[in-house]
Amino acid sequence: MNIKMRNLSFKYNYRSNTDIIDDFSLVIEKGTINVLLGLNGSGKTTLLKLLTGLEKPQKGTIQYGDKNLEEIGIKDRSKIFSYVPQHSNVTGDILISDYLSFGMTNRLEFYQSPKEEHFILVRQMAERLSVTHLLDKKIGEISGGERQIILITSALIQNTPIIILDEPTSSLDIKNQNVVLSLLKEIINEGKTIIFSSHNPNHALFLDANVILMHEGQLKATGPSIELIRVERLKEVYGDAICLSEDLDYKEISFKNN
Amino acid sequence: MKTKSAIYLPISITVVIIIFAFALMIGRYPITISDFFNSIFTNNNNYNVQRSIIVTLRWPRTLMALLVGMGLSVSGLLYQETFRNKLVSPDLLGVSAGASVGASIAIVLGLGSVIISMFSFVLGLITVFITVVIAKLFKDGSSTILLLSGVIVSGFMSSVLAFIKYFADPETTLASITYWEMGTFQRALMNEVYILITVIGVCVLVLLSISWRINLVALGREDAQTKGINYNFYRLLIIVISTLLTAISVCFCGKVSWVGLVIPHIVRLLVGRNTKKTIPLCLTFGGGFMIICDIISRTFTDSELPISAVTGLIGTVVFISILFSKRRELNEH
Repeated sequence: MNIKMRNLSFKYNYRSNTDIIDDFSLVIEKGTINVLLGLNGSGKTTLLKLLTGLEKPQKGTIQYGDKNLEEIGIKDRSKIFSYVPQHSNVTGDILISDYLSFGMTNRLEFYQSPKEEHFILVRQMAERLSVTHLLDKKIGEISGGERQIILITSALIQNTPIIILDEPTSSLDIKNQNVVLSLLKEIINEGKTIIFSSHNPNHALFLDANVILMHEGQLKATGPSIELIRVERLKEVYGDAICLSEDLDYKEISFKNN
Repeated sequence: MKTKSAIYLPISITVVIIIFAFALMIGRYPITISDFFNSIFTNNNNYNVQRSIIVTLRWPRTLMALLVGMGLSVSGLLYQETFRNKLVSPDLLGVSAGASVGASIAIVLGLGSVIISMFSFVLGLITVFITVVIAKLFKDGSSTILLLSGVIVSGFMSSVLAFIKYFADPETTLASITYWEMGTFQRALMNEVYILITVIGVCVLVLLSISWRINLVALGREDAQTKGINYNFYRLLIIVISTLLTAISVCFCGKVSWVGLVIPHIVRLLVGRNTKKTIPLCLTFGGGFMIICDIISRTFTDSELPISAVTGLIGTVVFISILFSKRRELNEH
């Protein structure tokens, strides 16, 4: 189902004069991959938090299909949206198989804990993403790239139609960025909707994604990356810090698009 | 790893039962195993003295030690997980400080032991309530504000206690207040034990039913809520249960330090960070540890040692030896 955001406004401090999200309206189509671009502080993370219900908009509405998001309870919402935060609070001493099983929470009653059948599902998903060798390790024992894959695996185990990721590649080296982006590309083939924020416009081009360009809490532009990611367009947000690689006096290294 | 951690629970339950039985036999009046069985399982009048020592003295205080150890350990674990801080002990939000003020007011007023317990319990709860209300005033749902508020209110209660002590009669009431603050199971009564069993039993049943979910609360609001947990509800529920457990534990036996801090650490070092495993083990380890401390406090000297002095000494030795044996895993903790 589509997500409709209508005239969203939000600020963290009630007394503040400026809105972090300012009269934001947008429709996100089912089964699309969407990349949120914009400067630090442009409201990307806040918008993602509004979508997941972690924050409530002071004005405007978010609709999932024909339902208002505020009317959907926490448990039911977790069956629609899964969220991979930029800085997950998960501590290093948690066993990875235990962490992945947390993705099953919304299928269990309050008094239940995951059973053997749930751990089989965890293992199957881990096999799909080639992380079975990590299952018996603790979060603190794996690399940053592996950790990001584990967080995405947990979101996939949650098995929601919409996956929201906040800067999933921000702390990764170029190889692992490629691994994560390729994984997202694979997920999109399953008909899931993906929304993620990034600081790299090339990611949107790499994924042939829909771009949502934000500036000071407002929607600056939206459309297919191939049309929208143009120097003159991005300069409106990023200023003169941006240029085409062919205008550089050196050859830029980038992702290989398979 | 999984099989290893599954073994700890049955082993620790067996050990607690054995320690409990020994606690009934050991003391300034030692009872041999055959005398113990004769006095408990027969009606032989030759064992009336032993029977009376076991039933009226050692049985209630050992039961109380077991229950208080369980309550304080599990409450410490819950606080450490919920506030994501391993240096936190159950009196974090001011429950012990409030309970001390309550008890000392009752002592100064010359009231009986039942009233002392009631004052201590009620003021412990009121103090935590004040902490939560102050945190709410900031309109900030973060745990940091709640912790800060707890520190402020605890500090205030400590000052109130200092005033009460300053004006208390050094010969009688001041000594009683100081003694209360160090804890003892000497005056344990079966009526108090029944109340403890009821409150701790209900709290533990609720906790065991949600034990797995506490893992998610420990991840913080973002992770918990997006995985389908009503974080605010569960956090409040856990705080209420922990506060109740601490308040009911300290109101009958006085302040007992260390247990709530040390036992959760020991348990986590043994089985890792999963509340489904750590909560049951905190109950057995905490209960067993407290019975051992009680045996030591009443056996080796003519007058009883305060329980907090013993828990501190034994706790340090046990903690350091476990830290030492598990030093390789420490980096992850």
